[in-house]
Amino acid sequence: MTEVSKAFGSPARGNREIVALDRVSLAMSDQEIVCLVGPSGCGKTTLLNIIAGFEFPSAGRVTVDGAEVRGAGPDRMVVFQSPALFPWMTVVENVTFGLRKRGVGPSQYLPEAARYVHAVGLDGFGDHYPYQLSGGMKQRVQIARALVNRPEVLLMDEPFVALDFQTRVSMQELLLRIWYEFHPTILFITHDVEEAVFLADRVYVMTKRPGRIKEEVFVAFPKPRTVDVVTTSEFVAIKDRVLHLIREEMLGGPGIEVVDAGEQRHEPA
Amino acid sequence: MSGAGSGRWELGDVRAKAANYKYAAISALTVVALLVLWAIVTSVFSISHLVLPSPRVMLEEITNLLRIGYSGKALHVHVIASLLRSLTGLIAGIVLAVPVGLLMGYSRTFNAVLLPIFGFFRPIPPIAFIPLMILWFGIGELGKVLLIFAASFNYTVLNSAAGMRSVPEQLIRAGINLGLTRRQLFLSVMLPAAMPHIFTGIKISTAVSWAIVVAAELIAGQEGLGFIIMDAGTFFRIADVFLGIIIVGAIGVSLEIMISSLERRVLHWQAK
Repeated sequence: MTEVSKAFGSPARGNREIVALDRVSLAMSDQEIVCLVGPSGCGKTTLLNIIAGFEFPSAGRVTVDGAEVRGAGPDRMVVFQSPALFPWMTVVENVTFGLRKRGVGPSQYLPEAARYVHAVGLDGFGDHYPYQLSGGMKQRVQIARALVNRPEVLLMDEPFVALDFQTRVSMQELLLRIWYEFHPTILFITHDVEEAVFLADRVYVMTKRPGRIKEEVFVAFPKPRTVDVVTTSEFVAIKDRVLHLIREEMLGGPGIEVVDAGEQRHEPA
Repeated sequence: MSGAGSGRWELGDVRAKAANYKYAAISALTVVALLVLWAIVTSVFSISHLVLPSPRVMLEEITNLLRIGYSGKALHVHVIASLLRSLTGLIAGIVLAVPVGLLMGYSRTFNAVLLPIFGFFRPIPPIAFIPLMILWFGIGELGKVLLIFAASFNYTVLNSAAGMRSVPEQLIRAGINLGLTRRQLFLSVMLPAAMPHIFTGIKISTAVSWAIVVAAELIAGQEGLGFIIMDAGTFFRIADVFLGIIIVGAIGVSLEIMISSLERRVLHWQAK
């Protein structure tokens, strides 16, 4: 159903053209969770911004359901890294903002809001303002605000990166529960390999700049998953494979010895 | 504060309120101490009423003022005259400045056109224009109100523009993402996001407009608090000079408190 494919180079800085993304092609099917990982600066966020319609490709095109993307819209809702909630609106007002501005009446948007606020576990917080919420709760509001618009694809840009470890894990589990309930199609960007493998049906590993798709890794665990899965040997094996691919990129190619802080070191193949 | 009490915040609110009362009491003590000191100084050193009237003389004079007024007009006529000038100019300035400022923040071209004008006038104390205003518009109402209007406009316009420019890119993107039209984005996202800066402009403008009205009345006027201060000074009615100053101060503080409480109400969503 969702068929996003490809894009471009980035505008000139000074006189030199920086190619942020080099002929990236990726496709997603309906109800799939795809994670995009890669070394920092590889253009993950640029790619997401292009799919979202905030930026435009210098070549190539993005299509959703066969229609070419020509700008941002609620069929591709973004969950931003920093919780971009409207601080003067309550939780419910934030969640229903898009619907209200499109002329949906309260008899429709109020039950919808209640449904998604409940789904993200924020019952009873509907009248709270963002400043009264923790970081994790703000991200829950963002997820509800995105889902209430029934997007074709949910675009998540490192949404849990600023959260502490406990909260991050519980948010990952929450996201999988939400997936189980609503089956949204999700493109999830992260540099946390464990997070990617835990969430994804498929992981795309990107190269360093200029960003390209280096490899596609399938994760076959059934959903819903719980954190217990991360200790299984299959999980560890997939994680190691992805880590290895990224490490290859960070080391800048085969043959270069880099000794880092004593963590596990992967020799390039 | 946000209608629906949440339990979690109430204890903090109670504590904050108790602390507020404590500090308010301390401030009240300062005022009382100053009054006592004033009474002691004037009686012990038997200072002439022409230099520093004692509180008792002031009290007598204020009953006088309240009963018979000043210069043939009741005291409240003077107060209202000053307030009316100030608020007319202030409100007109704000009403016009907010949209212009928002457009300046929104469009760099618009900003480039107007910035040289407003940027140049900003550092000039508005009272420097009083002689010109008298020359052009006479000593009537028009010149004073125009001056207050111009000053309020200038302070509010620049702050509104800054507010518009400071709207976080993420919020704009979130709005675009939700499918807002440009108009909706401007009115429902950028305007409220710029409100804290706009309010800063309004607060400065309010203080400035009150200062200007008094200054303008000092120089040219037949009524108003500035007129009382100047006129009383000329005729050595020193108690009236002091009373005029005290009333100006009291009204200035009241205006500030009113604007601040309005700000807290409108911008309650700002983290404290």
